Amino acid sequence: MFDFLIQGFGVALSPLNLGLAFLGALLGTLFGALPGIGPINGIAILMPLAYTLGLPAESALILLAGIYTGAEYGGRMSSILLNVPGDAGAVMTTLDGHPLAKKGLAGPALGLSAVSSFVGATIAILGLTLFAPLLAEVAVMFGPAEFFALMVFAFASMSVMMGKDPTKTAIGAVLGVLIGTIGVDSGTGVLRYTFGMPELYDGIDFVVMIIGLFAISEILLMLEHANRKDSDGDIPPLGRVFVSLKEVLYCKGAMLRSGLIGFIIGVLPGTGASVAGAVSYTTEKRLSDKEGTFGTGDMRGLAAPEAANNASAAGSFVPMLTLGIPGSGTTAVLLGALMLYNITPGPMMFSERPEVAGGLIASLYIGNLVLLALNLPLAGVFARVLTIPRWVLVPGIAILAFVGVYQLHSDLTAIYLMLIIGVFGYLLRKLGFSLAPVILGYVLGGLMEQNLRRALSISGGDVEILWRSGISLGLWIAAAALLILPWLLPKLISKLQSSSKPLEQVEDD
Amino acid sequence: MKLAADRWLGVFLIGLAAFVAVQAVRLEVPFSYDPVGPKAFPLILSLLLAALSLVLVFKPGANGHWPNRALAVKLLAVLGVLLLYALLFTRLGFVAMSLLAITALARIFAASWGKALLTGVLMAMGSYFLFTHGLGISLPGGYWLDGLV
Repeated sequence: MFDFLIQGFGVALSPLNLGLAFLGALLGTLFGALPGIGPINGIAILMPLAYTLGLPAESALILLAGIYTGAEYGGRMSSILLNVPGDAGAVMTTLDGHPLAKKGLAGPALGLSAVSSFVGATIAILGLTLFAPLLAEVAVMFGPAEFFALMVFAFASMSVMMGKDPTKTAIGAVLGVLIGTIGVDSGTGVLRYTFGMPELYDGIDFVVMIIGLFAISEILLMLEHANRKDSDGDIPPLGRVFVSLKEVLYCKGAMLRSGLIGFIIGVLPGTGASVAGAVSYTTEKRLSDKEGTFGTGDMRGLAAPEAANNASAAGSFVPMLTLGIPGSGTTAVLLGALMLYNITPGPMMFSERPEVAGGLIASLYIGNLVLLALNLPLAGVFARVLTIPRWVLVPGIAILAFVGVYQLHSDLTAIYLMLIIGVFGYLLRKLGFSLAPVILGYVLGGLMEQNLRRALSISGGDVEILWRSGISLGLWIAAAALLILPWLLPKLISKLQSSSKPLEQVEDD
Repeated sequence: MKLAADRWLGVFLIGLAAFVAVQAVRLEVPFSYDPVGPKAFPLILSLLLAALSLVLVFKPGANGHWPNRALAVKLLAVLGVLLLYALLFTRLGFVAMSLLAITALARIFAASWGKALLTGVLMAMGSYFLFTHGLGISLPGGYWLDGLV
């Protein structure tokens, strides 16, 4: 049953792939530590350049996965040192991380964050190794109707869990799916929404889409802080560089519990690192904060969200690899990257392309070790990256974005499209949308339509096929429950306030 | 005032949904064995978009802060630089155009002239060699530089 893993380690331990895992981890940490560049931006900017290396699919994926996990790591630095979370997943890290830095314990805080990230990620990668093949075996039985229902469920869960405003999350996803319909319709060859422009016949290129949406809109957004100092002061001195074993053991309960929580939340589609961080922090606060030290620089309050958000990052690979449904915006980008290599992730991948599935999982083990080895001694070096001024950073991103898009077809139309999409992304962010649903919609939309049409071709147009099987019916009901519960629950809670014992559990879930 | 932006957005999106739907209906589809065809999916999406936009019109949410005039000018300046960069990319060549664009961007992001020029020179040259020699990407019009070195 674990043949794929043995084969995977064979792939991942080749000198080239080992080097790429190292390079990915290093680049990812650097880009993640850059002020204002979260993991998703880091991947968006580096991905097109990874293509120019002409790597085979499994090597490219190993590089990208290294960048992904590295960027999750690097993103914590600005949270701890500057009190500026690099992305939504790092918000909880600031609560106890920054007070620790202010106490003169910045070095140990960074070290502890590296260790707890390692522990959380390890738990999740073990979970991934165990559950992904099992889930893939179940998912082999999925037909087009089941996949369609699964995607409806994924979008429902995303609307409820992701972002602050469910309506806007859903609108963002629909807009993303609509952008995905541009181009030749694969079923009939009809041109949709191309408005006579030959450049649009192939649809909007994935690389153009993510660079425009993330990198260009980020540049525009950074203007607001062009003159403002990022932090309320300089980077605090790191103090002693290593975290002591005693401190690590003090947090072991928090790490293990949060790693498990993070993995489970990561597996659910649409719920990413931010939810994992918040749930683990509040759980840990309730369980172990006896003296009320959480929020004032308690090490457990730092270890919990760090273990959880890295666990959720690895956990979100489960639905992506086995079902082809990404669990987060970042895995949606990785999924798109795989599709560029003509690999559609899904249950068949474990049997048909075991070198890709196994190689990726094995490289996560290796990358995780590499990251720990890099981050403990080099924290001081990476912390320097935070002081790079914006007038160096912004032109750098602009050049990487331009060249990344230009090298696709040596064509300027793609660059104009990138700029238009960048303005679109900026406006969306200004209007209170988050971009992850847009990219998820863009990546999943095409698959959703294909599966819908395949299902209805099988049934000859009878829509009943969409909910005929038990699996798809269950998914439809789950999706409906997700959308209805947030409306009903508050009323139910107020009704049952007196006999509220069982409801506390409902809230915890 | 802030809430009004979402109302306008909702109205705009309903317009977009109508546009999407009209375009979908107008598609001319040759005969095929596909019972759904290319029209249905965009139509479903436009209905969904219209419904969600109606929610937005009646229950507007919070927005970010909109840029003031000084910021808006800078925003247009950045977009202008990026557009010019694209327009002149092949004509002036990567190195020359990047130097100009980097210097301009650095200036907009509050660097002094000296720092901006230094960044421009170093980054344009450095990235040229990284991209062409390191990653094997062919970039336009930088050939005169090879002659110099």
